[in-house]
Formats: sequence, C-alpha cells, structure tokens
Amino acid sequence: MLIVSALATALALALAGAAMAGLLGRFVVEGLDRRLDAELALLASAIDGDGHVDRARLARVRGALDAGPAWRWRIAGPEGTLGSADFPALDPAPPAGPPAPQGPRPREGAAERDGAVHARELVIATGRGDVTLSAAAPRSVVRRPIEGALWPLLGALAAVAAVLTAALLVQLRVGLAPLRRLRDQVAAIRGGARERVEEDQPAELRPLAAELNALAADNAAALAAARGAAANLAHALKTPVAALALDLRDRPEQAAQVERIDRTIRHHLARARAAAIDRRAATPLRPAAEGLVAAVGALHRDARITLDVPADLTVAVDPQDLDELLGNLLDNAARHAAVQVALHAARDGRWVTVEVSDDGPGIPAAERDLVARPGTRLDERGDGHGFGLAIASELVALYGGALALEEARGGGLAVQLTLPSA
Amino acid sequence: MRILLVEDDRDLGPRIAHALREERCAVDLAADGIDAAHLGETESYDAAVLDLGLPGMDGVAVLRAWRAAGRDLPVLVLTARDGWSDKVAGFKAGADDYLVKPFRVEELVMRLRALVRRAAGHAQPLLRAGPLSFDAPTGTFELDGLPLKLTALEWRVLSQLMLRKGAVIERLDLLEKVYEGDADTDSNSLEVIVGRLRKKIGAALIETVRGRGYRLVGA
Repeated sequence: MLIVSALATALALALAGAAMAGLLGRFVVEGLDRRLDAELALLASAIDGDGHVDRARLARVRGALDAGPAWRWRIAGPEGTLGSADFPALDPAPPAGPPAPQGPRPREGAAERDGAVHARELVIATGRGDVTLSAAAPRSVVRRPIEGALWPLLGALAAVAAVLTAALLVQLRVGLAPLRRLRDQVAAIRGGARERVEEDQPAELRPLAAELNALAADNAAALAAARGAAANLAHALKTPVAALALDLRDRPEQAAQVERIDRTIRHHLARARAAAIDRRAATPLRPAAEGLVAAVGALHRDARITLDVPADLTVAVDPQDLDELLGNLLDNAARHAAVQVALHAARDGRWVTVEVSDDGPGIPAAERDLVARPGTRLDERGDGHGFGLAIASELVALYGGALALEEARGGGLAVQLTLPSA
Repeated sequence: MRILLVEDDRDLGPRIAHALREERCAVDLAADGIDAAHLGETESYDAAVLDLGLPGMDGVAVLRAWRAAGRDLPVLVLTARDGWSDKVAGFKAGADDYLVKPFRVEELVMRLRALVRRAAGHAQPLLRAGPLSFDAPTGTFELDGLPLKLTALEWRVLSQLMLRKGAVIERLDLLEKVYEGDADTDSNSLEVIVGRLRKKIGAALIETVRGRGYRLVGA
C-alpha cells in the first residue's frame, strides 16, 4: 500500500512538474515572440508601399535590432535580400493556405554556428510584390530560462514527494495501529488468553469489533455445545450400558464387550473434557485439593492422605480440569498405596509444583516413560496406573505444564506436576 | 438390609433392584427425586443408592434434603457422572460413597455392606457373637466355623441383630428393616422368623425383651 501510494504521489508530482515546465516554456516563447514581432514591426516601418527599403531609417533602428550576437534579421523583397549575413536557413514554411495569414508566423531553423534558432516571419504585400521580413533568435534564449527555472522546481517537487511519502508512512502506521491491536486481541482469543476484543475502538472499527465479539461468542457457544453434546451422549449411554452389564454378568464373553464399550465411552468423555481448555482460569489450589482429598479418602477408606498446600497458591487451570488432574492422580495413588498418600505443593516462580506420592510398590524406572506418555490411546492401558496417568499427562500438556514420574522416598510412585501459576 | 434405591431409568432401576434382592436385600425403588426425598425422610432404611440425574429434583438436592431433615443413613451415589468435580460435589452434599455406571453388582453390594457396617459402628469386617460369625463384605454367616444357610428374611433379621448385637432392637424398627415398603407385614411373621433362627443357631443367642423387641447376646 505504501509503495503504491508513493508511486502515485511521484507520478502526480512528475505530471505537475511536466505541466509547469510546459507552461513556463510557453510563457518564455511568447515573450520571445513579442520581441521578435517588435523587431519585425521596426523592419516593416522601413519599407514603403512599393516595397522600397528606406535604408536611412533602417540604419536608425539597427541598434534596436542587434540585441545579441546570435540575433539576426533579413528583408527579402523585390530589391533583393538585405540583413544579417549569416541568416540561418529556415525549415520550409508550412504551406500557408489562402487566405494568407495577416500576422507574423513562427518558423524554426538552424544557424551554421549557433545551433537551433527560433524565428518569426512577416509577409507584407507591396505594389511590387511581397516583401518577407524575418527575425531570428537562438533557441538557447528560450532554453536557458526554462532550464534555470526547472531544476529548482524539480528539487522542490522531489522534496514535496519525500515529505508526502513520509507523511503517508506516519499516517499508515498511526491509522493502522488500532487494526494491529485488534489483530493481537483476536490472536489472544484464539490462544485462549482472552474472551473478547475491546469494543472501545475508533468509530470505523467499532462495528468490526462488535462483529468479532459476536463471532467469538458464537464460537465459544458452539464449542461448549459440542462438548456438552459429547458429554451428554456419553452420559446417556452409560445408563443403558449399566443395564446391559447387569443382564450379562453371568456371561463373561459378552460382559467383556460391554466393558469395552464402557472404556470407549470413558475415553471419549475424557477427550471431550480436554477439548476445550480455558487457560484464563485462576483456580485456588488448596480448596480444590481439600475437596479431592475428602472424596478420594471416602472412596479408599484404608488410605491415609496427607495434604500440604499453602493457602495462597492459584493455578491457571480450569477448576474442572484441575479436579480431573488431581483426582486421577490421588485416586491412582490411593489405589496403589499401602497406607500413605501425600499431596504436596509449592510455588516455583511462575509455576506451581505439585507432588502426589504413595508408599505402594511404585513403577519400575524402565516402564515409567511408557505409562505417562501422552498421545498413546487412553483405552489401551486398562485401568491400572495408566488410565488416570494418561488423562493427567494429556491435561497437563494442554496447559503447557509438565508431568514427571519419580520414585518416592519410600519406594512408591511420586508424580510431579508443573502447572502454570495464575 | 433395607435399601432405598433411587433410579429413574425404567430399564436399569428394576434390574438393580432385582440384583440387590438376589443378595437378600429388601429394596424400595423410587423413580423420581420428589418421591425419593419423601421416602428417605419418612421411612427407615439401612442405606440408600442414589442416582444424581433425576426428574423432579436433582439427586444432590435430594441428598441435601435428607441431611437437612436429620437423616444420616449412609448414601451411595450411583451415577453416570464420572468427573471428579461431580464426585467432590457429591461428597460435599453428604454422600458416603460414590460409584460410577456401569458397575459390577458385586462391587455395589460390597460397598453397601461396608457402609451399613461402618454406620453401625464396626471398623472391622468380621463380627462375632458366641459361636456365630458374620463376614460383612460377603454377607455370609458361619456357626462354629460352618456355613449357615438362611432364607432372605432370616438373613435380614439376623444381620440386623448382628450389626447391633448387645442392643435391644425394637420390633417396629426390625420390621421396617426387613420388609419392603409395599409388603404386608405383621408382627406374627417376625416371631415366626425369629423362631426359625433360634432353631438354626440356638435359642440362647436371641433374647426376647418383653414389650420391646429382640437382642443378640454372646461375646
């Protein structure tokens, strides 16, 4: 856009320059013509009605005729030719159609010494025939003032072009700054960092901002609806599957198929949950952890779960996702623990580290990587450590955090989470 | 063991009820939240199995209503909602256990028995009264180390006595815990059942407290 505008400006200025140069040229030529015509009038005053040249009068006006070294004149009539010795040869006159022109006519030509000349010619009818009066001036008389005026003019025009282009550049930058901000905000919406763009915009952008917000809202609603639909479908399927499982409990082969259906449902339900990540959330860690510890403790009455979470920790994780994350880890730990499960959290700069450890048999170092590798299908791992750990590691990855498996001090498993602090 | 089963699904509800009855439980089935809230507040149950997504009144609201009315019966939430946020909400509303559909009947029954045992104040799964022992998780009785064969009604009466051994159990209370809500009950049938139990385990173990009820004795 800037290049096109700069080119257009340059073109307009060039045209303006050319037009001004042409106009200037015409003024100079007209001035020269008037002077030559005055010379012709002087010459004409020395010729009487019979075409006779009054030489005494001619001698009197000669001073006015020789304006400069290259200025020349000539009288060509029935008494022969009179005038400057080196009068230049003129280009053939354009055929003067009848009626013959009354005033002087412009002629061009070239002198032997001084190059191109500009001339005027007047034909006077006398009793003894036509007398042709000519006056010539060097072309340079025209060219010099034009050139003298043109260079400063071109310089000024170039300066104007530069200023205009710079102004255009500033105007573009300033004028487009709100658009750039809007673009950044749209990118932030896409990245999940904000929900809508600012509607406090210049008047031209306000409708666009409103439309963008409507679009973002529609998008979020559609996403929530899709997520809800997947979750509703999964939930709706669970009840008939439960009925089927009750009918088939004495038939292991069919029961295994029902189990498979259930695993698939759980897999896709977990997926649907993980599909819409809200990184703007700020969830206090301790209340969530306390609720989960109570729940997991009620589900695993034999496990003793201790909690060590500072009250001021807040993580940038959606509350439901945080519940899934910690719930799965605590449930795993309680299932495999001999007695003890410990949940420990601390701040580490921009991050919050959470460790869930148990005093169970642990996982051999060689198998640890395999168990928590995200991207492996959740339902390929059965319902041991794997299912919960896989969900947890996928969720953590979506929030830009990390999950690592270590050996706990007593030999059990220690799952270490790094979550973004809010 | 008398269970209030709250399940609105017309296929699943009767199936769970049937499976629980096979495990010798007395089962009342409520198919909506309002019915469930009413039954839980007025009838006497050993435990409730509560679905969360219910017509009329949500399961969590039903649970809160029971707790607000001072009903502290153990409640097992049985639901399709398997999210941890749902589980936390369920426990916060006063649930004692939480099981996700689909489920194994054995697990449901085992968890119910454990709930009832703990509610009666027993931390250990094995209960004894003289020559009689009761393995709460499996619900089996042994007499002098030998399996004891009992009908469903006999089992319900004896397990009630066993869980509260040493305490007098009112006749009315016992009747409520043994028969389903819509059953024809009379106290004579209770005496018949107690008579048959005395023949099986020995008359001295079950003591009649005149005008009140029965008591299981034995260290």
